[in-house]
Amino acid sequence: MRFLDSHVHMVSRTTDDYQRMAASGVTAIIEPSFWQGQPRTEPGTFKDYFNTLIGFERFRASQFGIKHYCTIGLNPKEANNEKLAEAVMELLPLYICKEGVVGIGEIGFDDQTRAEEKFLRLQAQLALEANLPIQIHTPHRDKKVGTIRTMDVLEDVGVAPGKVIIDHNNEETVKAVLDRGYWAAFTIYPHTKLGNERLVEILREYGAERIIVDSAADWGISDALAVPKTAALLKDRGISLDRIEQVTYRNPLAAYEQSGQISERDWEGSEGIDPTSLFEGNTILRGGMDVETAMSQYLIE
Amino acid sequence: MPRLKLKTFDGSGIQFELTITPMRDLLLDILTQSASPEAVSWLRETLRDQEREFKKRPFYYAFSGVSRHFDKRARITATESQLAGLEARTPGFTVREWDQFRLARVILLILLGEQKRDVFLETIKSLLNTADLREQSAIYSAYSLLPHSEDLVESAIDGLRSNIVDIFDSIALNNPFPAAHFTDAAWNQMVLKALFISRPLYRIEGLDLRKNDDLALAISYLAHERWAAGRRIPAEAWRNCVGFVSEEISNDLHHLLETGEPTDREAAALVLASDGEPRLADLRGRLEGEIDAIGSGTLSWERLGEKLEFPVTLNGSPAKP
Repeated sequence: MRFLDSHVHMVSRTTDDYQRMAASGVTAIIEPSFWQGQPRTEPGTFKDYFNTLIGFERFRASQFGIKHYCTIGLNPKEANNEKLAEAVMELLPLYICKEGVVGIGEIGFDDQTRAEEKFLRLQAQLALEANLPIQIHTPHRDKKVGTIRTMDVLEDVGVAPGKVIIDHNNEETVKAVLDRGYWAAFTIYPHTKLGNERLVEILREYGAERIIVDSAADWGISDALAVPKTAALLKDRGISLDRIEQVTYRNPLAAYEQSGQISERDWEGSEGIDPTSLFEGNTILRGGMDVETAMSQYLIE
Repeated sequence: MPRLKLKTFDGSGIQFELTITPMRDLLLDILTQSASPEAVSWLRETLRDQEREFKKRPFYYAFSGVSRHFDKRARITATESQLAGLEARTPGFTVREWDQFRLARVILLILLGEQKRDVFLETIKSLLNTADLREQSAIYSAYSLLPHSEDLVESAIDGLRSNIVDIFDSIALNNPFPAAHFTDAAWNQMVLKALFISRPLYRIEGLDLRKNDDLALAISYLAHERWAAGRRIPAEAWRNCVGFVSEEISNDLHHLLETGEPTDREAAALVLASDGEPRLADLRGRLEGEIDAIGSGTLSWERLGEKLEFPVTLNGSPAKP
């Protein structure tokens, strides 16, 4: 079975992750531009970060047979450094028309400040001009209010909900997001976001239409295999393979295909992974380098 | 068609016009054969607008926006006479194996080369500073067609420091720019790195013209290092030693007969065939079969290179400098 993880920050991950992802059937990934933990102080570091997303990281992924795409944007946290944010806005037009840039993202609210709203609006306008989808980060604090406010702003600018993927949803936000016509993404992220057992219930209640599962794996304690692992859990809990494929592959593809910059043809002919071998217990890591295997190969050539 | 070289252009507008316009038109003809009519008419319109008045921002959009109009999977097809036309205008330049993105971008860059020097240099620098992988390859592929080469040399050398094979290839392989403009030191680094990352030397333009004493010695040292580690050195490497067979290198040639690798023997024979050193006489006797093959045309550096060439795949082994 093939997976498309539409939210994963590979610049923070090691080659072990890439090996395991490839072995688990992750065929394509989308890396949103985000905060890197250490706040940036110069526009030039944003430029080099964007260059990494369209350059070296894309190349690195290709070494493992994984197709890498990205979304480009100014994240909400750093939107609060207004002078820097203005300079980043000047850079964005250089990147948004590039090959493999499948949207503006991840943008939205963090503290829900005036500056954050200003740059959300400006970037939503940019997405309209470039006819690109938008990938939305919803805030950790006061999430429900922040999510609704995000949708209000986007609709005020004139963005069509069908071109927006709202991420990091939970049980409290999903209904409003789906009712208003947006794509609802769920980040399976240990401890701070959503465990995958909760997703089983959400799928039972809301079905699979416009629902997306991603990992948002980054520099924190997170799981680059969250999408294939969740697929295995869903199978175990009796969700149909068709529905699993819908939320882990077809839906994210359909959402970001609207950019014209990602297509199944990009990875046609790449080796698929046999779903039965994938879903049988711990064979999920087959081909990856678990500690035991790594240590058994002690000869360094 | 006269062999006019762009790199000799020194501000004389007439010579510039005569040379550059046909090249751009020829490339546009080749692209027209391969690409969709909609994409080509978008490009022609963009060129017309920019010819009327060059505007930086729309140029940036057009350069990256090539990906929105052309088909990245489609290869360029050029007739033999078109390829000969390219060769006549800029010896060593070719569009073989190119995709549509690269050709469309190179055509835009030729137009950029028609702008004032400072506009050209400033724009190409910011394009390079924000370029994705294919854009970088396109920019380096265009270097031999652009003016102000002396200002481009440093960035080409910098590009070769990349770990990304496609970028390295766009400068080092089938590109006449390095042979025409690199110092010996930069040239030697490029050839050595090509060996390190298993790139096919026979596709480096001007390889035989730029070989030199220092490079021959560096090849010999590299071979010693590899042999000490129980490893091999690609047989093509010895092509750089033709005409520079010192005592030490003649010992290396003897060693090549001991490796058990047929391509090593062939390389030794190819070095001998073009070197009259008497101290190599005994080697000739031991390589008769290979030397006959050279005489009959079945063995040459090109043939050897083709045989050794690593297939280029997107998922190839990681390149390490």
